Amino acid sequence: MRTRMLLLSSLLACGLEAAPRLVEMPGQSPLVTLRVVFHTGAASDPAAKPGLAHLTASMLSRGGTKQLSYDQIVETFFPMAVSVSAQVDKEMTTFTAATHVDNLEAFYKVFRAMLLEPGWRPEDLKRLRDDSVNFLRVTLRGNNDEELGKEVLYNAIYQGHPYGRHNAGTVSGLNSITLEDLQRFYRENYTQARAVIGISGGYPETFPARLRKDFGLLAQSKAEPPKRPQPPPIKGIRLEMIEKQTRSVAYSFGFPIDVRRGHADFIPLLVAQSYFGQHRMSGGRLYERMRQVRGLNYGDYAYIEYFPNGMFQLEPNPNLARPQQIFQVWVRPVEPPTAHFALRLAMYELDKLVRDGLNEEQFQRTRSFLTKYVNLLMKTKSAELGYAIDSLYYGIPEFGAYVREGLKKTTLEDVNRAIRKHLRTDNLYIAVIASGCEQLKKSILENSPSPMTYNSPKPEELLKEDKVVEKWKLDIRPEAVRITPVERVFE
Amino acid sequence: MALMVRLLILLACCVGLIGVAAASEKAFPFAYDQHDYPNGLRLITIPTDFPNVVSVYIVVQTGSRNEVEPGKSGFAHFFEHMMFRGTKTFPTARYEATLKEVGAASNAYTTDDHTAYHTTFSKEDLETVLMMEADRFQNLEYAEDVFRTEALAVLGEYNKNSASPTQKLFEVLRDTAFDRHTYKHTTMGFLRDIEKMPTEFEYSKLFFDRYYRPEYTTLIVCGDVTVERSRALVNKYWGQWKRGSYRADIPAEPAPKGARVNHVKWPTPTLPWVAVAFRGPAYSDTSKESVALNLVSFLGFSESSALYKKLVIDEQRVDVFTAMNPDRTDPYLFIVLARVKKADDVDAVRDEILATLKGFTEKPVSAERLVAAKSHLRYRFALAMDNSEAIAAAVTRFVALRRTPETINNLFALYGQVTPEDVQNIARQYFVEQGRTVVTLGGGGSK
Repeated sequence: MRTRMLLLSSLLACGLEAAPRLVEMPGQSPLVTLRVVFHTGAASDPAAKPGLAHLTASMLSRGGTKQLSYDQIVETFFPMAVSVSAQVDKEMTTFTAATHVDNLEAFYKVFRAMLLEPGWRPEDLKRLRDDSVNFLRVTLRGNNDEELGKEVLYNAIYQGHPYGRHNAGTVSGLNSITLEDLQRFYRENYTQARAVIGISGGYPETFPARLRKDFGLLAQSKAEPPKRPQPPPIKGIRLEMIEKQTRSVAYSFGFPIDVRRGHADFIPLLVAQSYFGQHRMSGGRLYERMRQVRGLNYGDYAYIEYFPNGMFQLEPNPNLARPQQIFQVWVRPVEPPTAHFALRLAMYELDKLVRDGLNEEQFQRTRSFLTKYVNLLMKTKSAELGYAIDSLYYGIPEFGAYVREGLKKTTLEDVNRAIRKHLRTDNLYIAVIASGCEQLKKSILENSPSPMTYNSPKPEELLKEDKVVEKWKLDIRPEAVRITPVERVFE
Repeated sequence: MALMVRLLILLACCVGLIGVAAASEKAFPFAYDQHDYPNGLRLITIPTDFPNVVSVYIVVQTGSRNEVEPGKSGFAHFFEHMMFRGTKTFPTARYEATLKEVGAASNAYTTDDHTAYHTTFSKEDLETVLMMEADRFQNLEYAEDVFRTEALAVLGEYNKNSASPTQKLFEVLRDTAFDRHTYKHTTMGFLRDIEKMPTEFEYSKLFFDRYYRPEYTTLIVCGDVTVERSRALVNKYWGQWKRGSYRADIPAEPAPKGARVNHVKWPTPTLPWVAVAFRGPAYSDTSKESVALNLVSFLGFSESSALYKKLVIDEQRVDVFTAMNPDRTDPYLFIVLARVKKADDVDAVRDEILATLKGFTEKPVSAERLVAAKSHLRYRFALAMDNSEAIAAAVTRFVALRRTPETINNLFALYGQVTPEDVQNIARQYFVEQGRTVVTLGGGGSK
């Protein structure tokens, strides 16, 4: 821990112009982890070519180098059981790999060429473009209503903004991308000043110098982060409905917030979010009221930072840092007859949170949870490197210390004030994935009663609460509703 | 504990435990303590040099394989949900509150052969966690209304998976390939059985009484922990747990008598899938069948295989391609799975898969490729163990089968002995027409 802090602070002292930057975590582990982050991403896609950042990263991580074709790379990696993964977000593109120290030399020789001497082969482009199109059309749009709902929400909130398209782009954008586009994007964005290289494990002492020298071959550029416009204001509650033949109804709703790591209200809002809906944990308020007590679905959670693939992961990936975030509630699929009630209940609970905040006991318990839980976020070396790189981006101390120290200073009043200031139940988007959107829309617009029935007796108090929830009014104007056939999403 | 003693222990850990998987070393490189209690409970303690964090995995050797009665598919998984519904001492709210106070990450999962409950937390909370877990394993108590509500959460889980065609593909593949064995159904279970779960309150108590017993259970305590403390705490809280007597009579699957095919018509646009399966062997760390077929899954169908190069990289007719020979208590399936870009290519892709499998029966694999595949498996296993939770998770898979991490070392030693001739002979034994099942899935108006 101390080593890491020293390295980070010396890095910060060097200033952001020292390039390429390194985050070093030497240790004795025979597993060596590499994490190379470029400060570029989908927000840098040209307006006519969404998907360019994504496809460029794919060409590096799953395409050939100048010397080796992709199948030769795979062949070389096979006995070492290594692979290179890429993650593209709006502002960051990340390449990760782990190798046993036995194979570091053989692995690094290829890894280096993948990032610094890409092959730009047309056959790789054809394969990887197909993969990206199939990801959007089939994997996300066709086979995963929950992730689809979350991405539709982001696209709705950020319409007309550089964040307004999925990180993988659009089908038409992907289809328009040429090898020249990819090479230009690489030249302009994969630069020394934008690179941060993380390494951990039992690597040789001389290795960091070698990384610095090799990545010093990248083009030069200015290091200033791009300025992003504010997200467009949202007027009222807007329904973004996706018509799809599916068994159940998936919801995500939310709105932009000014808070990000480093903001004075980040820790108070982190407490509020954890109390309201800690991801995939059974202790959150929404989970308790929606799943535990009423059996409406499999779970219900809240977020103040982007967290893709939540249905497959218990912890978020690092290196999804952004200057702008949204508050989001994720309601996992509900049975159609309870869909209107479930939405009302989630909004009712959010309203309650905004009005009443947390009480002392809830605050203490959540604070205690986060103080320890933050350690678990960094249980792997790769995550530890990732969080350190994110901390550089946000200009905050080591993340664990940042959260723990912040929590020590945070009071119940801070949390409740932050909730009142940043959270709300109006001026937001609700994304809905459902079959028969027209009917649900009608019920929602007319505020028709949606009484609940249960398969077992419920306490009087809960039934009384249901009487309020079943008539909970959502003030939505007909012109604030859009229904899109799923075939048109991400096209 | 005095500081000096702690330092000495820490040093001992560092010296003893950081070597991983050089070819001559044991595949499971961590020193562990295996301890049996008189009631049949087994404790495996694995001290690691990853600081502060401890991970507890509680492995119960019951899963969907144990769902022997008709209409009870999915019940082991449902019961896993009920384990979070509280006791007299720790009603759900108090249980959740305590987990929150200790900052624990806690969850559970169910498979064909086992159910695992896992919690990862800071080392100072070890006693609290072991005490609370012991309480729910011995004193679980829930009312019928709570039971009925939780059944709906299981339906919610089915719903959230239902948009994915692979869930349906596996459901139909297993249903087609097996006649009698409980591997016929998935762990999630058939929808018809899930829908009637709310009425199974009495059966749930029977299920708990049968399987949530010390002789079915192994505790794995892994991380910043000492053997002495782990043993003592488990003895204190789990020592009084009463042994049971139930043994499930899992129906044996008769020998296969002919090739089978099936098709899933998916209602919405999706890319077509083809699954080619053969009845396979059970997990073994002494007999080579299962390890040889596992090697075939990598040699024939991994990213570095000739067929992957042909179908995915060169011809680009397939975009998802994988094979698996899952470790199971009883004989299960060897499966090759492909997502095909054009519906017209499905038959050709199926034939390519079958031809590749036939190739393994016709001539021995190259010795060089076999060495590469063995090396891949060894490093793959080593690279996965990069923190205490991951080590406990890796061990769990094997403890579910043989109740000891030693099976990992035996298994990798067995890999070392497999020859190209073994692979050919075992391929001949298993890749036979009468053991074959092919299931395809096609979408409405695939794009």
